[in-house]
Amino acid sequence: MSDASVGVQRTVAPEVALPSPGRWIRDNLFSSITNSVQTVVFTVILLGLLRWALGLVFAEDTDWTAVATNMRLLFTYNYPTAQYGRIWVATGTVLAAVGASCGAWNINPGMTVRRLSVSGTGTGAFLLVIGVITPASTPSSIRTWIVIIGTALVLISLTALRIVDKPHRRSVSFASLLVTFGVAVVAFLWLFPFGNYGFTQGAVYAEPGLVAESTRVPWTVLMAIVVSAFFLGRETVRRLGEAGGLIRRSLTVFWVVGPLFLVFLVLRDPAFDMGYVLRVDIPIAAGFVLAGAVLISLLGQPARAELARIVGAVLAAGAVFNWMAGFMGWYPMLQKVRISFALLALLVLLLPTLAGERAARLRLMGLWAVAMVIFHWLITGMNTPSTLEIAAPPFLGGFVLTVTIAYYVMLASFPVGVLLALARTSKLPIFRVLATGYIEVIRGVPLITVLFFFSIMLPLFLPRGMGISDLAAVFAGYAVFSAAYMAENIRGGLQSVRHGQFEAADALGLTTVQRTGLIVLPQALRVSIPNLVGQAIATFKETSLIAIVGGFDLLRIANATIPNQPDFLGQKRPGLLFISLIYFVFAYSMSRASQNLETRLGSARA
Amino acid sequence: MLPPHRTGSRFVVHFLSLIFGGSLRVSGSFDAVATDLAVAAHARPPIWRNSTILKWSIQVVVLFVVLGVIWFLADQARSNLSARGIPVGYGWLDDPANIQLGEGIQTVDSPERRLTMSRALWVGMVNTLRIAVVGIIFSTVIGVLVGVARLSQNWIARKVAAMYVESLRNIPVLVQIILWLAILGSLSSLTLDSGPIPGWLYVSQKGISLPRVFLADGFYQFMALMGFFGVGIWLLRRRLRRRQDLLGGNQRVGLRLSAVTVVALTVAWFVNPVMAFMGPIMRGIETAWGSVPEQAVQILVAVAAITGAGWWIRGFLLSHRSPAGMTKLIDDDYFKMVFAGLVAALMVLVITVIWPGMASWMINSGSDFWGLLGDKFGDGRGARPLDAMRPTLTEGRFVNFGPSGLTMTVFYASLFFGLVFYTSAFIAEIVRGGILAVPKGQSEAAAALGLSRAQTLRKVVLPQAFRVVMPPLGNQYLNITKNTSLGIAVGFSDIVQVGQTVYNKNAQTLAVFSIYMLFFLGCSLVISSIVNFINRKLAIVER
Amino acid sequence: MSIADRALTSEMASRPDMIQCRGVKKWFGDFQALCGVDLTVKEREVMVVLGPSGSGKSTLIRCINRLEVHQEGQIVVDGVELTNDLRNIEKIRSEVGMVFQLFNLFPHLSVLDNVTLAPIWVRKQPKAQAEIRAMELLERVGIPEQAAKFPGQLSGGQQQRVAIARSLAMNPKIMLFDEPTSALDPEMISEVLDVMKALAADGMTMIVVTHEMGFAREVADRLVFMEAGDVVEVGTPETFFTNPTEERTKLFLSQIL
Repeated sequence: MSDASVGVQRTVAPEVALPSPGRWIRDNLFSSITNSVQTVVFTVILLGLLRWALGLVFAEDTDWTAVATNMRLLFTYNYPTAQYGRIWVATGTVLAAVGASCGAWNINPGMTVRRLSVSGTGTGAFLLVIGVITPASTPSSIRTWIVIIGTALVLISLTALRIVDKPHRRSVSFASLLVTFGVAVVAFLWLFPFGNYGFTQGAVYAEPGLVAESTRVPWTVLMAIVVSAFFLGRETVRRLGEAGGLIRRSLTVFWVVGPLFLVFLVLRDPAFDMGYVLRVDIPIAAGFVLAGAVLISLLGQPARAELARIVGAVLAAGAVFNWMAGFMGWYPMLQKVRISFALLALLVLLLPTLAGERAARLRLMGLWAVAMVIFHWLITGMNTPSTLEIAAPPFLGGFVLTVTIAYYVMLASFPVGVLLALARTSKLPIFRVLATGYIEVIRGVPLITVLFFFSIMLPLFLPRGMGISDLAAVFAGYAVFSAAYMAENIRGGLQSVRHGQFEAADALGLTTVQRTGLIVLPQALRVSIPNLVGQAIATFKETSLIAIVGGFDLLRIANATIPNQPDFLGQKRPGLLFISLIYFVFAYSMSRASQNLETRLGSARA
Repeated sequence: MLPPHRTGSRFVVHFLSLIFGGSLRVSGSFDAVATDLAVAAHARPPIWRNSTILKWSIQVVVLFVVLGVIWFLADQARSNLSARGIPVGYGWLDDPANIQLGEGIQTVDSPERRLTMSRALWVGMVNTLRIAVVGIIFSTVIGVLVGVARLSQNWIARKVAAMYVESLRNIPVLVQIILWLAILGSLSSLTLDSGPIPGWLYVSQKGISLPRVFLADGFYQFMALMGFFGVGIWLLRRRLRRRQDLLGGNQRVGLRLSAVTVVALTVAWFVNPVMAFMGPIMRGIETAWGSVPEQAVQILVAVAAITGAGWWIRGFLLSHRSPAGMTKLIDDDYFKMVFAGLVAALMVLVITVIWPGMASWMINSGSDFWGLLGDKFGDGRGARPLDAMRPTLTEGRFVNFGPSGLTMTVFYASLFFGLVFYTSAFIAEIVRGGILAVPKGQSEAAAALGLSRAQTLRKVVLPQAFRVVMPPLGNQYLNITKNTSLGIAVGFSDIVQVGQTVYNKNAQTLAVFSIYMLFFLGCSLVISSIVNFINRKLAIVER
Repeated sequence: MSIADRALTSEMASRPDMIQCRGVKKWFGDFQALCGVDLTVKEREVMVVLGPSGSGKSTLIRCINRLEVHQEGQIVVDGVELTNDLRNIEKIRSEVGMVFQLFNLFPHLSVLDNVTLAPIWVRKQPKAQAEIRAMELLERVGIPEQAAKFPGQLSGGQQQRVAIARSLAMNPKIMLFDEPTSALDPEMISEVLDVMKALAADGMTMIVVTHEMGFAREVADRLVFMEAGDVVEVGTPETFFTNPTEERTKLFLSQIL
């Protein structure tokens, strides 16, 4: 295979055969004296730790029915059972969007048969070890099931390795992994009914009935929705070609505003007073749509860019004054009008950048109208009293709260973080000093003090007569905190954009806003994605701090609510272990996904 | 042609022309230029199109908006607070605390040692630092071990380390801390004959206790003496090193130095009382420091601020001076210099008008520091520098204060375990990444030179990995310090928990939060300067 | 006649001025990069700037595009003086095209998007129209088939040709070339130079900083030799290469030829 092979056709490398078990053990575990010592030491450590952890899980005083019974409480807190359909609709929409997005962006982390079966064998063997060493207090049925599943996994994996031809090339597609996962979830729900109580009304009493019974039909439907949405998304994008971009764009828009709709309009179910809406809300929204349209048609022509800047500056000054008046209480005005006015000023300030020919102006008007409608609809929904009959005030709690807060914190801190990062890397010294000061002060203090500060001090900072709910204050604090970290992550990306890119954009005559939005940020954000995913994981984990400042999140329920129920007095351990598992599953899968993404991005750049 | 020399009046004219447009144009520099230009020479654009004016006015507007918002919020808070009858300020720090702290250097009020609010907060800070420092040490040791194990040749070692890292870093640290509390809380109760080794080591639902070594009265004298000896040892080391370089072979430098050090320690242990003479000296400094008049400090700070700004402007101008003469300063440069002047003026204003008490605070705290040192040196003649103690129990619990063993309360322990294991998982990843970041060519080159595996690791790979590892490691140290604040969830008396107790009592939220901020910013400043110092050291070593 | 107008034929002298530099000075901290440059570029003129590295050639043409801000003197481009007037800066940026040594294509945009970006966002042209124009230009520089690819997938010469097309898409009156072939492998230099020659033949006003002597001799109307931030000599190709007046020019030419 050396000099003689000049001119020989290139071929793929031959498959490296899996070594025999004995050979493998000799190579990896007992190749030298130090290696053998390590094997012995680490085996002892592993078995000791496993035995200790299993002892915690299956101790006699650990009552797992505390978790099974309170499943609904842990996930949705005291959301009324009667209106549970809303939860299913919201979950279904999110899952459908997840499936469709995976399909539309062709996220397809398939695995080779060989990798799958090697990890399957490993998992099976691990389960067998657990089955053997688990303490005597373990219920025998559980021990039996562990052993059965472990054996089955090992057998299936080894058989697959034998019968499949060229297992290192044959790939199992993501679609079939997804289908298998869905089927497994559904089968589990139908085969193992768990929980003997349903928990309702927020108060501490339990009602007979199986949790599984009321959830297995919805979950079956949901799993079907995920899988079909995946195929639907993939096929439409593939078939439509050029127009597939539209699907991706609308999915992106959904991910930005969709969750807001789900929480505030679907889950919260505001009772709109249609008369008031027709009399006040719709005219206001229509007025702003109209004002925006007029300004766009008047000032949106390229020749009037200078005038647009001046008008924009005047409007911005007006907006600032308007806010000041609001805080000083000079004249009454709906908050949403003040916000809309500020948005209008922003629109006019951006007009020189966004403006263009007639078609472009019409498109801009359309976008403005849609944005205004969405904004006013949401704000009106948020300000309208809810119809939910909840025993205790927060309608969000448990896992839903954890996910919602983490998602919104990331979403809200993103634009702030981008602005801060731009300011910190800017050439303008005052911006740089302000941004650096903000970022460093926030990063220097612990999250919990920021949350305390906002939940206690925010009401003090507001003028008398203005109030803010506890959860909103905590959320604001978390977003303020997160923005500083976001800024640092994005700054890393900004610094990776080469100087020549700025010069080329300047030489073409792009304005600073255009240069930033079209050239610099797209490149910077792509580089920051892995760090941003890391931050998303951290944010998700740190939502647990909300338990300390008064939110009923997973941790608070597991640590305080369940152990106070008369049936499960003092039962902290099962709840805490269970929520650890939930956090682990989500954080771990996010970090794996980010690693996949990183290799994908890395290979795309190379 | 040399650029025109700027005088003071030119400066002003230029500045005015910058603001008001072209009417006040500075002439002089373009006289020699050909006159056949197609446009009128150098018309200043109107304000709304002048990029310099726009750039600076936007910045100034934003600055004023930010300052305005802060001022407005502060004003709101002040009026809201005064509406509730809560005084603004720090006068309450000397009030008696009337709170019982869970643990720390002082937990209750006693006639000989008052527990004031400030003292209580100080106890909280010490508790935070106690757990942060110990946590940093332990998580580093565990993290390095696990990180190296992840790169081991042994399959089981790799897998166990990977499981450790993945399981610990993906569960929120707060959940882990509370889980530890739940686990420790279900241990057996504490009796005299309980614990793995009765009388020496106890592990129970009240916590963990083992014998401890503590600083006794002679410690400060001992350390001062060791300082003198240290200089001698350092000189000796230099001489021995030089001899080693000169003669080659093995001059047993390490052995000789350790022998001398042991002798020095032994001598210092017994003769440390001779250092008691330093007590009066410290007291002298205390009196001298305390007698500095307030005005002198104010003048000193003001002069320092003005001189600083002057120096900065001078340096700035110098950097614009080229051999051919003064560079033409653009509008930005004038703004920068004016801004520097404004900052200095603001500092002068602060020290003289806004917060005149700052000077006396500087005097008092400085003199207190020396007084404290004087106390430490004054007593304890003939005392041992260190002493040791076994755990002491009374009625099924540890002795909370007074002489006892080294006791980790169950709160301390759960916070400690949670923080250490969580952080060590991150440190393991950092260590692993650092070692992997050293290019493979480095170890190959070392192997080609005939270095052994251990030598390669010690002399080639680790020094380079250390440079990669240091900055993120510093970040983790910062995280562990900040995360001690989670102790509030398990009732550990750290600064945040004590502060919360304080403001629940007297509603001084704003003041307490400012103390939090200063404390944590101080911690992060200290940690980051240590990390930067080490980094610089490493850079020098590399050169 | 000032130094700036030397070596002009009478026909060219009668053309209007496109660029006028008068006593342009520029400092980077202590270092003076331009020490009072006087220069006039006529309409449809191709001017090649030569000189050792660090002589201020690049700084000069970057000042003409206001990528660098000159501190003293005046630069007038097409009758518009470069000051901190936003309107003037916008006008000049969109009228002066620039080609960089390292191409500076936008890596996240396809070739077509690179070329259409400025017409759409600065000139506010409709997308379809901009794309038609972009395809014409890509054809002109000889790579219409690469329109859908990304810059990272092209060779250096192809990238530089895209960069030229990107500048031309703004219909500039003046093109500035900052060592456009210095970062290219030898076999790719000629494809870029050919495009530039065609451009010159079409009557584009150009300032080219280059070390390609063949190109300078063949295409340039006038040559400028700069050293240490000063214009040392201005001349037609014939006199410049055969009979330079200044000693420093002779020394430079003897080193590189």
